Amino acid sequence: MSSPTHSYLKVSYDLRPAKQVERRMLIDALHRLNSAGFPITDYQYTGFGSIYFVDFIMFHKLLGIDKLLSVEYDLKIENRVKFNIPFKGIDVVMAPIGDVIPTLAKDEKHILWLDYDSIIKREQLSAVAQATSDLSPGSILLVTVDVESPDGAGPAEWRAYFEAEVGDYLGEKNSNSDYSKSKLPLLNGHIIEQAIKQGLVGRGNVTFEPLFNFLYKDGHEMLTVGGMLVTPTERRKLRGASLDETLYHRTSLSHNPYMIRVPKLTRKERLYLDGAMPCADGWLPEEFELSQEDVAAYREIYRFCPAYAELLL
Amino acid sequence: MSTTVHAYPRKQFFIEMFTRDIALEDCILDLIDNSMDALLSTRKIDIESEFLAQSKGQTKTKSGKAQIRLDYSEKRLSIVDDCGGIPYAEARNEVFCFGHKPDAPKRRLGVYGIGMKRAIFKIGNHIQVVSNTGNDAFQVDIDVKEWAEKDGSLDDWTFPIVKLDGAALKMPAGTRITISGLHDEVKSRLDEGTIAKALSRSVAQSYPFFLGKLVDVVINGDLVEPIPLPWGGSEDVNPGVARFEQDGVKVTILATVAPKERRSQEFAGWYVMCNGRVVVNADKTALTGWGSVLPAFHSKYVGFVGLALLTSSDPSSLPWTTSKRGLNREALVFQRARNVMAGVAKPVITFLNDLYPSDPSEDPGERLVAEGVKQRDFRPLLAEPTGPFTRKVLPAQKKTVRVQFDAYIADIEKIKKKLRRQGLTASDVGRLTFNHYLDTECAE
Repeated sequence: MSSPTHSYLKVSYDLRPAKQVERRMLIDALHRLNSAGFPITDYQYTGFGSIYFVDFIMFHKLLGIDKLLSVEYDLKIENRVKFNIPFKGIDVVMAPIGDVIPTLAKDEKHILWLDYDSIIKREQLSAVAQATSDLSPGSILLVTVDVESPDGAGPAEWRAYFEAEVGDYLGEKNSNSDYSKSKLPLLNGHIIEQAIKQGLVGRGNVTFEPLFNFLYKDGHEMLTVGGMLVTPTERRKLRGASLDETLYHRTSLSHNPYMIRVPKLTRKERLYLDGAMPCADGWLPEEFELSQEDVAAYREIYRFCPAYAELLL
Repeated sequence: MSTTVHAYPRKQFFIEMFTRDIALEDCILDLIDNSMDALLSTRKIDIESEFLAQSKGQTKTKSGKAQIRLDYSEKRLSIVDDCGGIPYAEARNEVFCFGHKPDAPKRRLGVYGIGMKRAIFKIGNHIQVVSNTGNDAFQVDIDVKEWAEKDGSLDDWTFPIVKLDGAALKMPAGTRITISGLHDEVKSRLDEGTIAKALSRSVAQSYPFFLGKLVDVVINGDLVEPIPLPWGGSEDVNPGVARFEQDGVKVTILATVAPKERRSQEFAGWYVMCNGRVVVNADKTALTGWGSVLPAFHSKYVGFVGLALLTSSDPSSLPWTTSKRGLNREALVFQRARNVMAGVAKPVITFLNDLYPSDPSEDPGERLVAEGVKQRDFRPLLAEPTGPFTRKVLPAQKKTVRVQFDAYIADIEKIKKKLRRQGLTASDVGRLTFNHYLDTECAE
C-alpha cells in the first residue's frame, strides 16, 4: 500500500505561484457553483494539509467551509502535523486516504482533493475509483499528479513504467508514440478518467461531469483534473453555473488542458500592468519591453496571482 | 415467397455441449442445490432471516435437520434427500424443462433450470427420479441413449412421467435420483482415490450456512462437517461492514483479520456468497479487485478475510455463473460490489501492512492486536450498522534494551587472550560472552 510522501520537505507549499493561481481559480469556480445553488459552505473539504494547510486556510477563510478534514499518512510527523493545525475546526486523520474515503459521510457533500505530488501510481487510481464509487452526487473530486516523465531515457521506458504500474487503465495506448513527453499530461488525464469510470460502475444515473483540467509548472509539470459527481438534477444545476464564462473551465480530462502560465514580472511591473487590466487585445506596456504572450498570460491570471513579499517577523 | 426453416436443437449436440464445461463435482453440487432448494421452498425458509436467527443461536425452522445422502459406486450414483420433494404439477410443467419459464416459481439456489439435467446427462445413461411430497408423487425413467436417438421433431423432447400415490410410497417426503450405466470417464473419476475428499471439501466449503444447521450431507456414509469461514474477531478489532442494494440484490460486505491459526494462503482472500452458497472461495485474484482496486495479493496479507454476501429472491439477478463456481464479472451489481469491497478491505490491508514495520527492533502494537484475534461467527454482523474496520491502537513494544556497563580492561584482555582473537573490540567481547551464556545456560 501507500508509503507516506514527503512533499512537505520538497517545497514550501505557499510559495508556488502557479499552484496558488490554481487554488484561486478553484475558489472562483466554487463561488460560482455556490451561486448556482450548490451549498459549498456546507460541503466538507478533505485534502492533504501536510504541515502547511494552505488550501485549508483558503477554503475556510474565502469560502466559509467549516467541515475540514486533513489526511496524512506519515506517522513520523504526526505531532508536527497536529502542531501546525491553523484552526481548531480542522480534523486530522493519520491513515492512508484509501482507508478514509469509504468513511466520508454518505449524506454529506464533499470536496475531495487528492493532491499528490508524485507521478501516477496504482494506489492513487484506486483512491480515485474509491472516491467516485463512494462520494454523494454533488460532491467535487480533484486529482493532482506530477506529469513529468518517469525515470528512464525515453518513451519506451516510460511506457514500460505505465504498463507495469497502471496497465489496466491504459486502454488503447499501445504504441511508444503514445508515451512521448508532450503527450504525458494528457495520458495522465486519460488514466485518471478511466479510474473515475471504474468507480462509477453500477451507480446508475450518477456520472462524472469534468470541470477542471489545469496544467502548470512551478518546478515539475503538474496536472490537476476534477469535476463533480452528478445525477440529472446536479447536471441541470451545473448548466446554470457561470463556469463556461471563465477561461479555465474545461469539460474533458484528457483533452485541451488549461495552461496556467505565470510570467516573471517585477513588483513594479505588476503594479503598472494591473493599472491597465483587463487590457485590450494587442495592448503592450509603453514603459518597458514585454512580449505579447506575457501580457496575454498575465491578463488571464492577474486576478488570481499571488504577490509575495518578505516579512520581517 | 417467404417460408420458414427449422432451427431445432439436436439432442446429441445438446447433450455433448451442455456437459462439456462442467466438472463432475460441480454437477453433484447442482444436485445438492436442488435438494436444498426443495428444503427452502417446502419449509418456507427465508434465507436472510434464517441466517440472522442462526446468529442468535436459534434456528427458525420448526422441523429437524434434513438429510441429503450421496452414494456412489462403479455401478451407480444416487442422491436421496428428505427435503420435501417435488410436486407432481411442478415436475410435469417445469422441472424437466431445459431452462425456466419467465413466470416459473422462483427458487433460491436453482437459477437456470439446467443443473439436474446437466448432471444426469454428464454422469450416466439410465436415470430414475422418484419424488414424493407426501401427497403426490411421481417417477421419471430416462434412457439417455434411447432418448437421444429419437430426435425427429420437437415433440420428441419429452420424458415419460408416472404419477404415484405419495401416501402409499415407503419413502419420506423427498427426492431420490439414481443414475446407473455410468459413463467411463465418470467411473474412472469416481474410482480415483481423491474424489471423496474433493467432494466432501467442495460441499463443506460451498454450504457453510446450511450444513449442520438446516441439513446434513452424507457422502458414502460419511457426514460432511462444515468448514467455518476463517472469520476472526476480538475486543480490539471491529470489522468493516458495508451494505447496498441494487436491482433487487441485497449486498453485505464484511472484512476483517482472520484468526491466527487460519492465516494462510489457503484461507486468505475474498469469499463471495450468492443466496448463502459460496461461489468464490478465498479469492486473491483480480476478480475480487486484487492487483487493481486493491494492491496485488502478497504473503503479508494472509490474515485478510472478506465476505461479500449477495441475496435476492430472484436468483437469476445474482452474478453467479451457471456452474456456480465463479462470478459473472460484467454483472453491474458485482462491479459495484467490487468497488465497495475495496473500500471495506483497505483499512484491513493497512493494518496488515503495519504488522511489518521498517524498524525490526520493535514489535508493532498491531501485532498484539492481531495475536488476540480468535475464530468467530460472522453472522451477528449481518444486523450491525455499517462502519469501517477499526482496531485498538496499542503502542509499539520495544524488543531490545541497550546493555552498557564498565568492565576492567584487564578482564577484557584476558577474554581476548583466551579466545586468541586480539582483534575483538570490548563491545564484541561483551556480546560474545553474553551470547555464550545464553547458548550454554539458557537453551530452551
